[in-house]
Amino acid sequence: MDADRLSKLLGDLEGDRRNGADLGERLCDACVEVLDVSGAGIMLMADGQHRGTFGVSNAVINVVEELQFTLGEGPCIDAFNSAKPVLEPNLVTPASNRWPGFSGPAVKAGVRAVFGFPLRTGTASLGALDLYLDHPGDLDATQMTDAVVMAEVIANTVLALQGAAAPGTVAPELDAGLASRAVVHQASGMLSAQLDITVDDSLVRIRAHAYTSDRSVNEVSRDIVLRQLLLD
Amino acid sequence: MTPRETLLTETFVSLADTLVRDFDVVDFLSMLSDRCVDLFGVGEAGLMLAGGDGRMHLAASSSHQMHLLELLEIQHEEGPCPDAYRTGVLVRCDDLAETTERWPTFTPAALTAGFRSATALPMRLRDEVIGALNLFGVDPGPVPDADVAVAQALADVATIGILQHRAAKESRLLAEQLQYALESRIVVEQAKGVIAQQLDLDMDQAFNELRRYSRDHNKRLVDVAAALVDRSLDAATLRRP
Repeated sequence: MDADRLSKLLGDLEGDRRNGADLGERLCDACVEVLDVSGAGIMLMADGQHRGTFGVSNAVINVVEELQFTLGEGPCIDAFNSAKPVLEPNLVTPASNRWPGFSGPAVKAGVRAVFGFPLRTGTASLGALDLYLDHPGDLDATQMTDAVVMAEVIANTVLALQGAAAPGTVAPELDAGLASRAVVHQASGMLSAQLDITVDDSLVRIRAHAYTSDRSVNEVSRDIVLRQLLLD
Repeated sequence: MTPRETLLTETFVSLADTLVRDFDVVDFLSMLSDRCVDLFGVGEAGLMLAGGDGRMHLAASSSHQMHLLELLEIQHEEGPCPDAYRTGVLVRCDDLAETTERWPTFTPAALTAGFRSATALPMRLRDEVIGALNLFGVDPGPVPDADVAVAQALADVATIGILQHRAAKESRLLAEQLQYALESRIVVEQAKGVIAQQLDLDMDQAFNELRRYSRDHNKRLVDVAAALVDRSLDAATLRRP
C-alpha cells in the first residue's frame, strides 16, 4: 500500500468517525479491499479472552469470531497471546493441529486459510485482526506488511474512540460488540451462584455445553438466564 | 573523524536511541543542551517547551547558573524562544546591543548576563511546534549557517523523540482505560446474574437492586458488583434495610 492510499484511507476513516458510521465494519471492509482477502474481523480482547467483536465484513468471518468466542481457541486468540502474527495458509490440512475444535467448523463455513494479527499499542494489547481466504494460500510480503499497517490503524482508531469516551465507560462504538455478549456474562453470574463456583469456571462450563450441544454460547446463555436450562 | 564529528555522531545516536529505549525527557533535553554548547561553541544553550497553556516553560539548560535560568524563564511572553515557537521558523539576533526594541525585557537581561547574540530554533514536526532551542553567544555575530543547520537537525530529532514519547504514554493510558472499562462492564453483567440467582429476580430487577444499594451506601456500582461476583458480598445484603 503506498503512502497516498494510506492517506486516503485514514482520511476516509476520519470522516466516518465524525459522522458516526459503523466504523468497525468499515475498517473490516477497508481491510478486505486493501489486503485482497475474503473477509476480515476485529476482536477486542482482555485478560486473554475474547470480549467482543468490533466489526465484521461478512457472515463467514462472523462464524470465525463466534467459534473463537465459544472455544477460546483460534488465530486471534493466539495472535493476542503471542503478540505476533499467526498464519495458517491451509486450514484443511494444517501443518499442526493447533485448533482441533475450531478448524473443522471454520472449514465447513468456507474458510480455507486464516491469519491473525495482534492489535497493539506499545506494550499493551487490545485484541486482534482476523483475516481469511476462501482458498488455501499464503499472504505475500506486501499483504503481510499492509496487514501490519492496518492492524496499527485499527489499534489507533480503537484508542481514539476510547479517548473520546466518558471516563470509566467503554466508547459506544466499541460497546455494541460487548452488549451482544452481556447475556453470556449474566449467565456466568447466575451459574456461579447456582453451583458456588467462580464466574471463570462458569464460562468454561457454558462454553463446553455449547460445544457439545452444537449451539452458540449466546443461545445457551439465554436459556440459562430464562431459567430454561440448568447445568451441573 | 574529527573530535567534533565524533561528538556529533554520538549525539545523533543518543537521540535516536531515545526513540527505542526508556525515555527520561529531562535527562534527554539536558544532554542536548550540553552537546549544543560543545558542538557550536556558544556560551550557553537552553530548551523551552510549550505547556498545555500555550506558554513556554524552561525544560533544560546547559548550566544551572542563575543568570541563564532567569534569562530563559523570563521568556514566557517575549524573546527569541516565544518568537520561534509562534512562527515555527529560525529567529536570531546577532548583536543584542544594537536594539532593545524587539525584546524590551529580554535584551537588557541577556546583555547583563553577558550574552551578545541569541538564536532560537523551533522544535517542530510538520505543523506542530512544541518549543524552541535557544543558543546564547558571548560574542556578537551570527552562528555559522552550517552550525545552524546541524542544530536544527538535532532539534528535529529531539522533537520526534518527545512527540513519540508523549504519544506512547497517551496510548498506554488509553489502553489501560479501555481494559478497565471492559472489565467493569463485564463484572456488572456478572453481578446481575448473581443477584438474579440469589434473589430470584430478572435482570432488570437485579440491576435496580444493585443500583439502589450502591447509591444508598455511596459506593461505586462496579465495586459493589465485584464484591457480589467474588461473593464477599451476598445479594441478600442488598435487600436489608
